[in-house]
Amino acid sequence: MSGDIFGPTTIPVLQEVLSFSQARHGVLAGNIANYGTPGYQTRDLSVDTFQQRLKEAIAAKNEQPSYVSPGLMTDEPGDPLKNVSRNMSTILHHDGTNVGLEQQVTEMSKNQMLHNLAITIMSSQFRLLQAAVSERV
Amino acid sequence: MLSALDISTSALVAQRMRLNAISSNLANMSSVRNENAELAPYQARYVVLQTDDSQGGSQGAAGVKVASVETETVEPRYKYQPGHPLAIKSGQWKDHVAYPQINMTTEFVDALEATRAYEANIGVMEITKNLGLQTLRILA
Repeated sequence: MSGDIFGPTTIPVLQEVLSFSQARHGVLAGNIANYGTPGYQTRDLSVDTFQQRLKEAIAAKNEQPSYVSPGLMTDEPGDPLKNVSRNMSTILHHDGTNVGLEQQVTEMSKNQMLHNLAITIMSSQFRLLQAAVSERV
Repeated sequence: MLSALDISTSALVAQRMRLNAISSNLANMSSVRNENAELAPYQARYVVLQTDDSQGGSQGAAGVKVASVETETVEPRYKYQPGHPLAIKSGQWKDHVAYPQINMTTEFVDALEATRAYEANIGVMEITKNLGLQTLRILA
């Protein structure tokens, strides 16, 4: 039902961006929480893979009108979105850890910027819908 | 814009490494034995920084990375301590103990410089983030 209202807007796409950035925030928070855990290697979700998949989903949606969200929810085992990659260029410490506090905080900050971007666009979309529904600005 | 954040981060890491070396130099100001417990006074370590194209190099900007950590090779500071169990037994420096040649003033000035550089990079990061927020204000 919501697709009827939100279908023509970019809200479903933004919703995916938001859930991705929230998931990535959790992974990055885990990296900082394990700062000092012996043998811990940093984890990350690939932004490039996410954007690639989102692009494909949007293209597929444009071919035959449907929602973006169900298209992204694949459950195949080798789904690259479910990969938690471990490749970040950091210094490897003697206890086997490679958590660089600065890098992690920067990645979090970038992730927050992505989240803010999606939220800002989403709120302006909602404001437009609100104006249409209530018939006043 | 996001590569600007990466460049600043590389500088933060580099300056922190530099500060680590300075702390090591000050901590070992009176270490007369090396890590293998041999009688060799500590030699100061200095971090050598190098530009790094892999961080945001596409826009003509370059990050920074630690090229190497160099160990100084200078004469130790000989302190006259007759009767000290580690005193030199014969020669020119008889009855002297060899201590590391660390200049505390230089180390503190270096520490100050590294700290200010770290702060400067944090400042740049804040400006970069503000840029992003200002851009979003166009939409809102």
